[in-house]
Amino acid sequence: MLMVNELHKAYQVGKTKYKVLKGVSFEVDKGEFVAVMGPSGSGKTTLLNCISCYIPSDSGKILLGDTDLAVLDEAAIAKVRNEKLGFVFQDFLLLDGLTVRDNIMLPRIIGGKISEAMEQAADRLCEVFGISHIKNKFPADISGGEKQRTAVARALINAPELILADEPTGNLDSKSSRAVIDSFLQAKQELDATIFMVTHDSFAASFCDRVIILQDGLVRCTLVKGETDRRTFQDDLLKVIRDLGDSEVMQP
Amino acid sequence: MKSLSDVFTMLRRKSKGQYLLLFGCLFFSVFLITAYCLMMRSPTVLNVLPVGGDSRKQVMMIFVLAVIGCGAFTLYAAGLFFRHKARELGTFLALGASRTILGRQLRREVGLISLLACVMGMALGTPFAWLVWSIFRLTLMDTPEMALLFDYRAYAIPFAFSLFVIAALLIMLARFLGRVNILDIISEAHRAEPIRALPRWCGSVGIALVVLGALLGYFVPGFCVLQLHWYPPEGLTAVFYLPALAGLYMLLLHTVVNGWKKGKSRYPHLIATGMMQFQGRQTVRNMLVITVLVAGAYFAAFYSPMMATTAQLSLAERTEDYAFFYPTGVDMPDQAEIEQLAAKNDLTIKDYRSQKSTTLAVDGELHVESESSVGVTYTKEYQPMLESGRFFSESAWNTLTGDNLDLARGEVAGVFNAEGYGDGIFGNDISLVTNPVTKQTLSVTPSETILKNDVLFSCRVLDDGDYDTITQGLTDDWQDVQVLFNAKHDSYAFAKSLFHEIVTRANEEMAIISSYDRITRELYHSRGEEYFADPENAEKYDIPVIDFTQPDSSAFRQNWMYMPQFRILDQADFTTNMAVFLLLFIFVAILCFAAVGVILFTRSMTLAITNAWVYEDLRKLGASGAYLRQTARGQISRVFKAPIFVGTLLIFCFYTLILYGNGEGAITPSEWAGLGTCLLVITAVSALLYGLYRLTLQRAYKELNLTANKN
Repeated sequence: MLMVNELHKAYQVGKTKYKVLKGVSFEVDKGEFVAVMGPSGSGKTTLLNCISCYIPSDSGKILLGDTDLAVLDEAAIAKVRNEKLGFVFQDFLLLDGLTVRDNIMLPRIIGGKISEAMEQAADRLCEVFGISHIKNKFPADISGGEKQRTAVARALINAPELILADEPTGNLDSKSSRAVIDSFLQAKQELDATIFMVTHDSFAASFCDRVIILQDGLVRCTLVKGETDRRTFQDDLLKVIRDLGDSEVMQP
Repeated sequence: MKSLSDVFTMLRRKSKGQYLLLFGCLFFSVFLITAYCLMMRSPTVLNVLPVGGDSRKQVMMIFVLAVIGCGAFTLYAAGLFFRHKARELGTFLALGASRTILGRQLRREVGLISLLACVMGMALGTPFAWLVWSIFRLTLMDTPEMALLFDYRAYAIPFAFSLFVIAALLIMLARFLGRVNILDIISEAHRAEPIRALPRWCGSVGIALVVLGALLGYFVPGFCVLQLHWYPPEGLTAVFYLPALAGLYMLLLHTVVNGWKKGKSRYPHLIATGMMQFQGRQTVRNMLVITVLVAGAYFAAFYSPMMATTAQLSLAERTEDYAFFYPTGVDMPDQAEIEQLAAKNDLTIKDYRSQKSTTLAVDGELHVESESSVGVTYTKEYQPMLESGRFFSESAWNTLTGDNLDLARGEVAGVFNAEGYGDGIFGNDISLVTNPVTKQTLSVTPSETILKNDVLFSCRVLDDGDYDTITQGLTDDWQDVQVLFNAKHDSYAFAKSLFHEIVTRANEEMAIISSYDRITRELYHSRGEEYFADPENAEKYDIPVIDFTQPDSSAFRQNWMYMPQFRILDQADFTTNMAVFLLLFIFVAILCFAAVGVILFTRSMTLAITNAWVYEDLRKLGASGAYLRQTARGQISRVFKAPIFVGTLLIFCFYTLILYGNGEGAITPSEWAGLGTCLLVITAVSALLYGLYRLTLQRAYKELNLTANKN
């Protein structure tokens, strides 16, 4: 589904060049729910932005199915973003002037696929994520959790091959976070969605099938949940992160 | 079912405030420039303002400032609009919308708004200019010359400005859309524009640069002309004002970033200062525009009170009630006829005096201009007969003025104005006088005696013996009769009747403008050059024509060579004679102050609303309503006070410098009085601006939910 191979990215600030990704490689299979965790500055968000093609990478391959995202032109990238990728942002990025239902339909409208099926799909997603009662409200009138569930529904309306989520629970309280994670699980189970999520939140990550741990621009390890129960998996995650922290402190 | 265009419509409806703000700013800029241009290029104004005169230059200079101000204001409004659209645009791009479609849609929106705003601004600017002028005519003064005519070629300038505005918006849009990084576009709406730390000396250096720029800008053109014999292009001399602009920027930057308060006294203003710093670049640019516009507006506003005060004081201090002169041989009213006319108007003539004066040639240096690679330069060429001068014998002078002047042979005394100045146009620097008929010459040296007389200003006096010698053989057409008298129980009706009688009796040879000079004309013709003041060149050089059927027109009264100086007539008719001048500058001042008001209000409100979240955070931290209002007041007062104070002070000092420079290094008592009147204008305008400040503050309190009864 998604294959990232030897991805490099550096930022130039003044005369100093900061290498953020130093050869990241991993794969995500169809139907998988994968999280990326790591300390601040490890390159998580940069990795997500490169996969989304929001920022260009310096070298390496990003394959979505058979398509190499790193070499696409502007028009082709727009088409991929619209049809093959779905996005969920930390600060929701809902348009204030549109209702919840209109926001959900937006990717289809942008893609020119305007039909009754679009409205039916939006209504169905509203039902799936429990936001039917607010579908005619504007973002300013709903809670943070409801906004994020709207964003998840929007990400799914085009049945994308991959959902990319950037700290989707970052701005939410625990109850709303749980609701958003439930909506991802629901999307995975009911719609066979593939989800790639960047997060700081070990609780959110503990629901994933696999967690990639990033440190200093490199994949340090990958934890597979398998049959482990969620609490134990969260403990495992916290331990790995704690160990990474200790090793950082120990460094000269 | 919604299409993409329906989505855009919904988004537009939701953020109509932003669209209205952009539309309003563009409309106002074009509206103001249209009204200004139509008036500036109106035949009503052009027929009265002399070609190449200071008034035209001043109106043009203020216009340039207004265009710069309006241009910067529209770019500011466009910047705000695009910042607002950033989040929408970024979201669309993130969800896979193509830049082509978004670009087409935004281009259509921005193009339509700017086109509509420009068309409406140009359309409504015309009736506005007409309306304001009509109100002036109804309420202040009205003369036949004030009938407003528009030259529709004047639309070329607002049209060009509109094209600039539309092009600038589309370029900004293209740059905005051209950004590669979507995350940058999304974060644009919330990006602060902090200014880097600024050393505290920045304020003092700014003040020094402002002073330096003002001095350089004012004195360098004069230096180029007088010392380098070079007429630099006006655009080039404007460059010398640039240090003042840079200094102004530093000064305002220091005000925004550091503030002028030191130590603990800055703590109460910490939040306001901090918030201003993060709106840095936009705020300082806006303040700079306001400062420049305030300066331009006051420059225009000072014109009428300064003119009126100096003229009225000068008229009041005239030594004679009535003065006129005419060529010998013309049948003008004599003493008996004047007394008869006076009797009809129930007044008595007293101190009647009449003496002959003669027109002789005087020497001087002709500026021979030539085109060179650096522009127009000139060389000085001594001419024994450069121009003409009116001369009295010392006995005639003594008879006319009651003086007891006794000049030595070979001495010449120049007559300066009552305050002892040559008004920048007359100097006591001749060395040779020539009889234009016999060509006999007389070498002279300037007398140390300074003669002062407003009605005989710029005449010269010779020793009786010299006068008799040099005027021998002079024909009547080089001789005039000067009449002076006073009146008991003076009357405007008498003055006007006598004036009309003089005009009625004037012959065709007297139909000449005051700058017409027979000697200079002969000099030009002898050099094979045409003389600008010849009647046949009137149209070519846009020279006013003396029309004896229009004696009450300002063109006649301001330009006729033999225009009588009747105190009561001049006092009463000052405003009507100068109506177009006075009202044009009042009109310009109103437009500029309106622009200042709109920009101040818009900037203050956007500043307050952009920072609304800070007030919410402060409220959560326990800030009282009073503290929040003080913070809002601190922000808005800085936007208002700094540019208004700096602009006002700057232009008042610069105006004083101009008077000082024009007055040969001194300011006359009447000019001091004029400056006093200008201070009254400043007080009145400041009161109005304070009213606007209070109004803006109340609106901002309301927007921020900070009204006095709420916490």
